[in-house]
Amino acid sequence: MRTLTPALRGDVITGIAVTLVGAVYYIATFWIQGTKNIVTPATFPAIVGIALIVLGVFLLGQALYRSRKLAEVVPAGAASAGRASARGGAGADASEEVVEVEPDGVVLDAPEGPKSKQVVLQFALFFIYLGILIPVGFLLSTAAFLMTMTSIYAPHRWVRNLIFSVLFSVVIYIAFVYGLAVYLPVGILG
Amino acid sequence: MDTLIDLGGGFASALEPLSLAFALLGVLLGTVVGVLPGIGPISAIAILIPVSFGMEPVHGLILLCGIYYGSMYGGSITATLIKTPGEVASAVTAIEGYEMARRGRGKAALATAAIGSFLAGTLAIIGLTFLSPVLVKLANVFGSTEYFLLMATALLLASTMSSGSRAKALISIFIGLAVGLVGLDFQTGLPRQTFGMSLLSDGIDFTIFAMALFAIPEAIRNLALGRGAKDVIQSFGDDKWMTKQDWQRSAMPWARGSVLGFIIGILPGVGPSLASFMSYIMEKRISKRKSEFGHGAIEGVAGPEAANNAGVGGAMIPLFSLGIPGSATTALLLFVFTMYGLQPGPLIFRDESGLIWTIIASMYIGNVALIILNLPLVGVFVKLLKMPKEILFSSILVLVAIGAYAIEFSLFGLMLLGIFGVIGYLMDKGGIPLAPSILALVLVPLLEDNFRRMLQISGGSFMPLLTRPVSLSIIVLMVLGIVGPIIFRWWVRRRQLLADVSVA
Repeated sequence: MRTLTPALRGDVITGIAVTLVGAVYYIATFWIQGTKNIVTPATFPAIVGIALIVLGVFLLGQALYRSRKLAEVVPAGAASAGRASARGGAGADASEEVVEVEPDGVVLDAPEGPKSKQVVLQFALFFIYLGILIPVGFLLSTAAFLMTMTSIYAPHRWVRNLIFSVLFSVVIYIAFVYGLAVYLPVGILG
Repeated sequence: MDTLIDLGGGFASALEPLSLAFALLGVLLGTVVGVLPGIGPISAIAILIPVSFGMEPVHGLILLCGIYYGSMYGGSITATLIKTPGEVASAVTAIEGYEMARRGRGKAALATAAIGSFLAGTLAIIGLTFLSPVLVKLANVFGSTEYFLLMATALLLASTMSSGSRAKALISIFIGLAVGLVGLDFQTGLPRQTFGMSLLSDGIDFTIFAMALFAIPEAIRNLALGRGAKDVIQSFGDDKWMTKQDWQRSAMPWARGSVLGFIIGILPGVGPSLASFMSYIMEKRISKRKSEFGHGAIEGVAGPEAANNAGVGGAMIPLFSLGIPGSATTALLLFVFTMYGLQPGPLIFRDESGLIWTIIASMYIGNVALIILNLPLVGVFVKLLKMPKEILFSSILVLVAIGAYAIEFSLFGLMLLGIFGVIGYLMDKGGIPLAPSILALVLVPLLEDNFRRMLQISGGSFMPLLTRPVSLSIIVLMVLGIVGPIIFRWWVRRRQLLADVSVA
């Protein structure tokens, strides 16, 4: 991948992922029992699976095609200058319909992305919370979850974090159980 | 005349203390949630749907419509003061409104947004009041061919008119369709796409999907970013709300934005976000003060905010009279209707006419409430902007977990929530917009049902699409709807107008 800009590299990965999802989805339609109707239960899912494959391949092809275009405009190794040139190059290219959405010439800053390690950690903690919510009960698991999340973010404010975690759990529990009659799991406290 | 009598009846019950209280509560709650940075109307409704579970249908719907309005206005406060639009529709407000606030004119920006929203919102509801019965009559000649086409149009327009890559918007739609097809087939009762898991045969709950997509990725992203750059909150300045000149400069943009937003809102599949963008471009184009745009031109707040809110009213028309949502947010409302066992469309005006007119009447009330409550209370709402991020976003994660638990009462439901949260995060990272898939998920049962019926009636032939006059006219409109934006984009790019308003 000679001059893949981050945006185009993202498109390559997204294209491959979508194609794979589409393929799995399409293959899964083989297990749907057939019927004699004109439109069988499998027709629509099959259309969806094929469409995902086509769109994924399209995205992949588009990204690779653009990177080749870019390579022609920008001398190799000058990928950092590629952003500006991508815009100029696209303007000359009639087949590129969607290029104006590339983040060039944007007033609003694209939100900066967090580190993947942090994202994985946050998701892991969230899954643990979802997993213990029912066996441990709402009050304890929620207070622990909130305490963990806020303390990772702001460790020095642990007193505030603790008060918030406990208070929020209790208030929400009372509001849902007594106000809205949504019975939250009591877990080990029950 | 009948319409006025119906509306009068609607007002009679919408003004009952309890209904009135829910309308006010909805507007207030919507504004509070909408003000929170990173939470737009879709997330606000998705997070708050569980609250309406145990309510009477009419109260639940009044509440959620109020939340919708309130969150739109709340979003413009956030956009103006910290330049964090909660959704695409207020992205242009984040440009001009923020610049105004930086120049000490924050109060004027918020006032013109509020007044414009009120005027445009009210005009759009008047349009809704009188156009819906007409559309309902028209809908009587619609068969499954037309319904299928309308829904396909809605999905197609949602992808062509979104502000990003068209291929990615289509991917989002097909992901929504793919998720929606999981579970038992409603015609034959056969399991589909369950991957052998019997738990999946009930299908994937819409609310879980919506909460997962619209709350979790944003919350995780913010929590994972950790302490970084703090948002700079602009003060509103001490000057007057709006000067005489501000009124003069706002009046025409309000009017133009209302009309534009209403028309765009009616189109199936096109939400208010496009309306606000087009209004911004239009105002910039016809303004005598072009140089002020990008540096706090009041027209750039007045027009788009009016268009945005007129679009909301417009989007309610196809939702109420045809049962076809015009945007992801109205798709959520459609889901809430079906949750209460109600199916919007021509029949609801006959069978549940009391309910539907009460809701319409409550929208008038909600709009008035919005302007009465929000301008004086704006100082209170602004305090919410200072809420620490870790507290805000970890609370949101807890709230969606409660929501998922209240739907499924099982570990399975909670895990689905988490898994779709990961999927939503990955989609977001890959640049795939999330809103179209919500629309697709809501539409898939109707889309497939009408597709099957169409082909069963015609014996497998697609000819009715072309031979039925109504369906043929929809096809013509559909082609215009697809070709139109391409020409529009080309025109915009040629004039390099969009260069400074596209959103990353």
